[in-house]
Amino acid sequence: MSKLGATWFTILPAAAFAVAPASASATVYLSIQTAQHAMFPGASFVEHNLVFTPEQRKAIARASGVGSFDKVQRVWDVRAANGRAGWFIVDRVLGKHEMITYAVALTPDGAVKRVEVLEYRETYGGEIRNPAWRQQFVGKRFGSQLQLGKDIRNISGATLSSRHVTDGVRRLLATFQLLLRNG
Amino acid sequence: MAERVTRCRALLGTFVEVTADSGQAIEHAFDTVARVDRLMSAHEPGSDVASINRFSHLHPVEVDQWTALVLERALFWARESGGAFDAVRAGKASLERGLLPIHDDQPRPEASHWTWLEIQGRSVQWMKPGCVDLGGIAKGFAADRAIEALRTAGAECGLVNAGGDLRGFGSQSWPVTIVDPLSRRPLAAVELCDGALATSALLDGQSVHLPGRDGRFVSASVRAPSAMDADALTKVVLSGSLHSAQCLAIVGAEGFRILHDGSVEAVEMEAADA
Repeated sequence: MSKLGATWFTILPAAAFAVAPASASATVYLSIQTAQHAMFPGASFVEHNLVFTPEQRKAIARASGVGSFDKVQRVWDVRAANGRAGWFIVDRVLGKHEMITYAVALTPDGAVKRVEVLEYRETYGGEIRNPAWRQQFVGKRFGSQLQLGKDIRNISGATLSSRHVTDGVRRLLATFQLLLRNG
Repeated sequence: MAERVTRCRALLGTFVEVTADSGQAIEHAFDTVARVDRLMSAHEPGSDVASINRFSHLHPVEVDQWTALVLERALFWARESGGAFDAVRAGKASLERGLLPIHDDQPRPEASHWTWLEIQGRSVQWMKPGCVDLGGIAKGFAADRAIEALRTAGAECGLVNAGGDLRGFGSQSWPVTIVDPLSRRPLAAVELCDGALATSALLDGQSVHLPGRDGRFVSASVRAPSAMDADALTKVVLSGSLHSAQCLAIVGAEGFRILHDGSVEAVEMEAADA
């Protein structure tokens, strides 16, 4: 049964990892606008950003147990023909080694309708120093859709925890309770 | 062929990516993954797994057909690997290290390995209080079911990546890079066609899924027809178990391990067939 010689994987040479200027590698899944229309088809969106006061930040941190977040929260009031359809919030969380931008759709009464990752950016990583890997990005401009599998290699390695997103959603629900519920 | 798109959601405690040529099919795939999450998350008090851990030592608990299937397979691999993969030992360790919550009415686990868990059809019972955690196999199962959902919904090609457990289908191959778990440096490349590839790694030098593991390896990857088997087999291979090659052969799988120095070693049968 030994399959010596019949290799199904390629070992990448260590020599390929020449040091090159670090550039963040990002996967863009959805634009904000595409996510809005996927989560609330046919609705209209009124931007309703929250600029937190220090007191509000403290209150949100206390209520959610999550202390680190942006000073401005991007929020859209979602309107349908028969009134409010819900809220659309864009948030970002910093994991151990990654920055994740994601969108949350809330029902009018503040229940989570859907969570969708918009962009995933590795803030470190050997792959960006690998010329062969970086070559995949050549020709990609800002805003162009990167397609996994077709353009960018899929990564199989350690399981990445989504705990930071879970914590972020909990913080957004606290934000809703304190600042949007009666809005 | 329609343009392929990729979506990503936080499910199963990790990030799940689905790529396909149909947005509607992707929705069905995520619905399927969410269902697996609801049934098999040890964190959710209402899941089948939580019910087993809370009540199955008192009376048999009826579970969903999917949960029964994954449990059966988990016990199968525990038996075949001589306990190198053991969802009961992993569950007990996770609970004791505070990685899993203790739900209301949940007893302290006494069962230290898989033989204390009985399953007949969809009925599950503990011979003594125990804690099972399907975290080492359910992601792979979710990837398999998601691919099935994509096909049923009419997609012509698709790839599901559930936290590093991948399953693809379609006429062309999907390029996959296997990275070093610590440095994230690309170490190996695989072209995935119809089939699955899973990787398990030791992020902090430890894993509850790998009791008494061989300390030489930091990561193991397995290619198999199903992602559920690939997922479970990565733990067998990573543990350095003597049963590794034998287990891989059962389902026609192949595997390799990454050592601490970054070198890559294929899993070979020790006894030549000549």
